[in-house]
Amino acid sequence: MRAEKTITTRLAVNGQPVAVEVEPRTLLVHALREGLDLTSVHIGCDTSQCGACTVLLDGRAVKSCSLLAVQAEGRAVMTVEGLAADGELHPIQRAFVEHHGLQCGFCTPGMILTSLDLLARHPRPDEKTVRRALRGNLCRCTGYQPIVDSVLAAAAELAKEGRR
Amino acid sequence: MSDPIGVRRPRLDGPQKASGQTRYAADFLVPGLLHARLVLSYEAHALVRRIDPGAALDLPGVVAVLVASDLPLAGAGSDRAAEPLAREEVVFAGQPVAMVVAETEAQAEDGAEAVVVEYEPLPAVIDLEQAMAPGAPLARRRSEKEETADLESIHAGSSAAAAAEDEEPVSANVLKRVRRQEGDVAEALAASEVVCSGTFRTAWVYQAYLEPQVATAWIDPDGTLVVSTSTQGAFVTRSELSRALGLPLDRVRVRPAPLGGAFGGKFALIEPLAAAAALALRRPVRLALTRSEDFAATNPAPAQIMDIRVGARRDGTLVALQARIVVDRGSNAGWGVEDTTSVLIAGLYRWQAYDIRAYAVQTNRFPFGAYRAPGAPPATFAIESVLDEVAQKLDLDPIELRLRNLVQEGDVSVNGKPFPELGARQCLERARQHPIWQRRRQLPADEGVGVALGYWPGGTEPAAALCRVDADGTLTVVTSAVDMTGTDTGFAVIAAAAFGLPPERVRVVSADTAFGPYAGASGGSKITYTVGRAVQRAAEAARRKLLEAAAEELEIAPSDLEVADGVVRAVGAPDRSITVEELARRTLRFGSRHEPIEGHGGSAQTSLAPSAAVHLAHVRVDRDTGEIELVDYAVVQDVGRALNPALVEGQMLGGAAQAIGWALYEELAHDEQGQLLTGSFLDYAIPTAERLPRIDTVIVEVPAPDGPFGAKGIGEAPVVAGPAAIANALARATGVRLRRLPMTAPRVWAALAA
Repeated sequence: MRAEKTITTRLAVNGQPVAVEVEPRTLLVHALREGLDLTSVHIGCDTSQCGACTVLLDGRAVKSCSLLAVQAEGRAVMTVEGLAADGELHPIQRAFVEHHGLQCGFCTPGMILTSLDLLARHPRPDEKTVRRALRGNLCRCTGYQPIVDSVLAAAAELAKEGRR
Repeated sequence: MSDPIGVRRPRLDGPQKASGQTRYAADFLVPGLLHARLVLSYEAHALVRRIDPGAALDLPGVVAVLVASDLPLAGAGSDRAAEPLAREEVVFAGQPVAMVVAETEAQAEDGAEAVVVEYEPLPAVIDLEQAMAPGAPLARRRSEKEETADLESIHAGSSAAAAAEDEEPVSANVLKRVRRQEGDVAEALAASEVVCSGTFRTAWVYQAYLEPQVATAWIDPDGTLVVSTSTQGAFVTRSELSRALGLPLDRVRVRPAPLGGAFGGKFALIEPLAAAAALALRRPVRLALTRSEDFAATNPAPAQIMDIRVGARRDGTLVALQARIVVDRGSNAGWGVEDTTSVLIAGLYRWQAYDIRAYAVQTNRFPFGAYRAPGAPPATFAIESVLDEVAQKLDLDPIELRLRNLVQEGDVSVNGKPFPELGARQCLERARQHPIWQRRRQLPADEGVGVALGYWPGGTEPAAALCRVDADGTLTVVTSAVDMTGTDTGFAVIAAAAFGLPPERVRVVSADTAFGPYAGASGGSKITYTVGRAVQRAAEAARRKLLEAAAEELEIAPSDLEVADGVVRAVGAPDRSITVEELARRTLRFGSRHEPIEGHGGSAQTSLAPSAAVHLAHVRVDRDTGEIELVDYAVVQDVGRALNPALVEGQMLGGAAQAIGWALYEELAHDEQGQLLTGSFLDYAIPTAERLPRIDTVIVEVPAPDGPFGAKGIGEAPVVAGPAAIANALARATGVRLRRLPMTAPRVWAALAA
């Protein structure tokens, strides 16, 4: 386990091909934070409970502490840094701002990406569905209600724009 | 200009946070950074016999294995800042005993695993009641000095036990006693027509901020120690570092980073470790706790045991209150909540006679710390539960009972101080009209509605702020307050209203201890109230400068000018005007005759602004499982003036969610040896989106005379009354009253089965 040599892992991050040097034991979350300086991927626990490190892996929300960086070889990772286009916030980011779906902001990137995964599968979810989808993402500030409202507002907005 | 006060608007930091641009304390790149990992004691109480770096130093990347004697500490004291690594005695499982520093975090972790510590176990003092019983083993050995002082006081005939005749004998684990007394409570209880009593227990509860504690320290080229950290208070952290490390204040610079949640738990706890390591190694060091370490080694809220007895007359007049509160300090000998919790247990009611005792007891658990409204949820759980029983016995509406006995402005609290005006009455009256309360009598079996009233007294501390107009006509507000709850967004609105600019043209920046105006730590619900007041005055001072410059430019007396929407106009002659932007341009240039448009403001309130909040809980109880389902929930709170209702509601919702955690789920449990049983989010349940109901928020506004535009500090009040409201709802639904938190399904099931 000590002094292991590094491995070059190639993947696409936020639409760009990248190569990152990792130890075999390096978790994806550490590769993203330390190797690629994508610090929106937060570390809130060490038992895969909190969801603060959630990213989209080939479009599906995963906790990036729950897989090794090498397992992401050849796959596409999305973080919230990659959501805004030309400095314009994605509708779901805008919804979290406008509907007060964030306070300290530490859980926010994970909440947003888990919600995007949900909306890709259920474009018009009801409140219960949103709450169930977010059960693996902890927030201690908001009581979740404004987060749920943000997701519902984003769903309506995306439907109007014909996007998902 | 439309009044910016009271308008719902998004947080200033929202877009940055939603797009991942915000850099928290663990996110900054620092050249040459080393990473620290702690070796935590697995014994709850022991002497450290030997610390063997073992193979750690041979591992790749490991730079040092540090023990207490390696750190440049000033010396005396056994608190966490003065003794960040245990010297001889460990007093809780989770206490840091060594620190491994390495080139990467993973290497530091490898190193920490290789360190071997030998302990000589001592009896672990875990049970709170046993700990305070005479003859109990001590949770911390006493120094020779303390032993000598004890002997002297015994010889002088003034031992603690002999201090007062009616004081109960206790062990030396009792660190402090508080007594509040008025009238003859025994007589008043004997004369009461109804007496209700009970023993209430609350658990150790974890703040569970999503961002674990993290601090980074380095030495600037001029020799200044710089600490970038996730802290609630810049200046308090600087003072603690100065004391711990024996450095003059001006050699320590604390730079607070955006806070990933704190709730009372981030007050200079781990900074001395990172700083001492950086000083010892002369390289930048980051200490980022893992969640497991944060559970084990930080400072959660303490358990309390409260015996309470209340006497009332048949007409519902409260007469007598007797209470005995035992607070588990854990291994924190320095300070506690006994003063606060012994006031809050009297609620917001008039008492003819009372006798309240509080005891602080040391045990071999974590050093207790603050958590949102410290001491308030437990005390309020006790008094508000008993009041509900009084109402039931008297067949009186519980809201009516509370209204009849409510304190008025000027009534003297059990701490001897008069109550200022507060909005408890208005909150109760609004709660009485709420649909949840209105439908309480038409519920199916096993459903019930509970009500409880709580409050937080608020806090004060002198504060200052700066306002500066830039050449583009925008206003920059500078404070050293840490934004824990959205206070910066509030400051922008306060400054905009006081100066005369739209809030969109106001920027708020946080300074650090090297140059920022003074602000106390973010805690006690005091930032909006105190720093906000300073911001208001700073903006007013800048406005005076603006008017002076405009008066010269327009050749009109300042008293004949007004400012609105970024334009200075002659009163009654709006065509004679000049924009703030133009004035700023004419001011901030070579040879200008105007002073810069800047203002400094300060505040030092002498009156508190208590915030009251009523919780309404509608529960459904599953008799087969004991599970309490929250069907509906509401918080009604007096906030003084809602500067930004959206952010106020955010505090109310978040506070209610934490209250529900206290009530139903959360407990840091230890076994008899002091091992933490619930040390991860797997075992320690905080509410999830799926477990919470929709919560209604009702804002009541009773302005605070000395708050900015009438605003009060509102962050703590909304957590206080939740557990009592849910316990009262459970009692109404099932006839079974739980006097122990959390009211988990197994406990409810057992109570129903009994």
